[in-house]
Amino acid sequence: MKQRTLWSAALVVGLTLTAGCGSASGPGSSSGGSSDKLVVWDWKSGDPKAAGYVQKAKADFAKKHPGVNVEFVAQPFDQYYTLLGAAIQSGKGPDVILFNGGGQIRDRSDALAPLDSYVAEDKQRLAGWDAFTKAGKVYAEPVTLQGHPIYYNKDLYAKAGLNPDAPAKTLDEFIRDCGVITQKTGAKCFALGNKEGIGIQFWLSALGSAVLTPQEYDDWIAGKRNWSSPDVKKIFELWKQAGDSGLNTDGANSTAMFNDAFSAFNSGKAANVIGLMSDVGHWKDFAEFLTPEKVGVMPAPQVNPAAKPSLPYDGGIGYAVAKWTKDPKLAADLVRSLTSTDALKAFYLDGGAIASDTTIDTSEGGPAVKTIVSEVKTGKPALHVALGSKTIDLMGRLSQQLLSGSITVDEVLQQLAASDKTG
Amino acid sequence: MAAQSLSAVDVAVAASTAEAAGGTPPRRRRGARAERLAPLVLLAPAVLIIAGLRLWPLVLGINFSFTGDGDRNGMMVGFDNYLTLLNDPLFRTALRNVGLLVLLLPVAVAIPGLLATFIYLKVPGHRLYRGVYFFPAVLSPVIVGAIFNLLLAFDGPLNALLGGLGIGPVDWLGDPDVAIFAVVGVHVWATFGMALVVFLAGFATLDSSLLDAAEVDGASLPQTVWHVIIPSLSRTIQFVFVTTMIGMLTSMFGLVYVMTSGGPEGSTYLPEYYVWIQQGQMNQPALASAASTALFLIMLVVGLAQIGILRRAGKED
Repeated sequence: MKQRTLWSAALVVGLTLTAGCGSASGPGSSSGGSSDKLVVWDWKSGDPKAAGYVQKAKADFAKKHPGVNVEFVAQPFDQYYTLLGAAIQSGKGPDVILFNGGGQIRDRSDALAPLDSYVAEDKQRLAGWDAFTKAGKVYAEPVTLQGHPIYYNKDLYAKAGLNPDAPAKTLDEFIRDCGVITQKTGAKCFALGNKEGIGIQFWLSALGSAVLTPQEYDDWIAGKRNWSSPDVKKIFELWKQAGDSGLNTDGANSTAMFNDAFSAFNSGKAANVIGLMSDVGHWKDFAEFLTPEKVGVMPAPQVNPAAKPSLPYDGGIGYAVAKWTKDPKLAADLVRSLTSTDALKAFYLDGGAIASDTTIDTSEGGPAVKTIVSEVKTGKPALHVALGSKTIDLMGRLSQQLLSGSITVDEVLQQLAASDKTG
Repeated sequence: MAAQSLSAVDVAVAASTAEAAGGTPPRRRRGARAERLAPLVLLAPAVLIIAGLRLWPLVLGINFSFTGDGDRNGMMVGFDNYLTLLNDPLFRTALRNVGLLVLLLPVAVAIPGLLATFIYLKVPGHRLYRGVYFFPAVLSPVIVGAIFNLLLAFDGPLNALLGGLGIGPVDWLGDPDVAIFAVVGVHVWATFGMALVVFLAGFATLDSSLLDAAEVDGASLPQTVWHVIIPSLSRTIQFVFVTTMIGMLTSMFGLVYVMTSGGPEGSTYLPEYYVWIQQGQMNQPALASAASTALFLIMLVVGLAQIGILRRAGKED
């Protein structure tokens, strides 16, 4: 009997272990380390829209270091940080690594080499450094800027008899305009997707500068976040009110921001959407459906008279150098090539990204992109990017509860404050 | 059964060992030693693969789950990660959902069983249904999830249909009380084809004279199902129970990922999804290891229970 139990235990162990078969295997040829070859990991280089960018960057680097071979390994984005985590655990992997700004790079800065001594010349030309900086050290050079402009459909505004070139300045006016649009055209006020909890992130950042005073805003970014302040509470109350009063498209908690919410905006089901500046869900994507003249960008409508609305943006994606690379100077040179003006210009034109290089000419991109670029100078870092990934994740779930009515704003703020303190 | 044949081998090995010990000539002894080593040599590849590629990583993973994340990377932290898990409402939701899956298991087994019965009893169009029912089993969870994302969307066809009947729209994937049932329902839809085939195979072994006898005795359809079909198929039903359970516990990640991303409000979290989030998104591999170890223990318990059931079924025969 004892032996039988033993055998069955062994059998179960064997079966269970076999059930774990077929997990993602690490790419074999993609670890770096030799000095005449650099390996780059990203999720962009496989995209046809980024082909021109990669080519320009490679050419620039080949001019400086003709003998060095550069290999781009495009990883699937949904597996990217999992694969990267495995590489970091083993202390081996790519020499140059693409990162999202904010928490994703800061959480992993232990595995990266500080770039301050190599990138000093680029400091003026590029914007968005903060998202790649931790404790005063720069860990990556920004490639794109990512932020959250409020886009609006000029066509719907015109159909409702409103002036599409003079959007509302205050939130009360904005909501009144929305009422008119819904009445005349049937379109909702906001296209919202909060299935992954992303909607609240965009909301917090897009409206934050219109609610918080400049002092509160800067304190928040600096890490001194006062979750019990009435202004912070106001942002979450507005989120709940927008849901309760039917300003959002239906079923926000089961709608994916990417790309169902944006499709709703593209197809005229909603008059406004808080979108992105680069990658997806931005001016270029919308312009394909609505034509560039019909897509407008408005500053956040004022809620608190003491607030100064500004464009929330950060460095979007940027290339970093791994700590374990043989020759950090060489790898940093590749990073500099990847952020050269020529390469970034190609990225802007083909990929529809707002590049970090402020010297690129964007005058032909339509009114939306012009507004965005003009607001970059006065813009500030986005509020949600300053939060840790645990707090962001929690905020996503709590925001869904706010929409479904199963939690109060005070409870949400309490939980977020607790999470923000530990995480 | 397996244990019986194994103990037969044991007896044979013991006999040959006894023989070898009994003062035989040297050549014979060498031959006996070769004979004694042969099973070990033959077993070695399998044992080494299991020990080196399965058990050793498992030990490493369990060991890793007792270390810290972030600043405490590499430090032994005792049961801290497990305490974190117990205090994490998300992980508790994930465990509760595992419990829910176990409770829903009879439904997931009854559906293919019932449909297979109808096919066996040759309802009109049974040939067509046999093919149609199996069709979803060949689709990948990602495709199934994408299809049902469209069907179950708030402004999707199902709600349009309900609206036509005068019933208010249901936010299938956005309501925390409904979403987990929607996901499990889709999983059952996507996988019951396999169980159906197993049931049909079981029916093939059914003694048709029993059915004829029941018919002659004037048994109604429910009576036939309850008193003739179910008892004759008890082993098949048990087998389907085991395989369906394993399927539910190990292969719902794709659907959860595509359909709800664990939401809304974290209500569709399963342990696998939790492990993935902690490792890939939160950069907490040690905590993820602890969650994996917990999942492993659950599977161990469920697996042992199922083997117990299967063995008892074997004895009844």
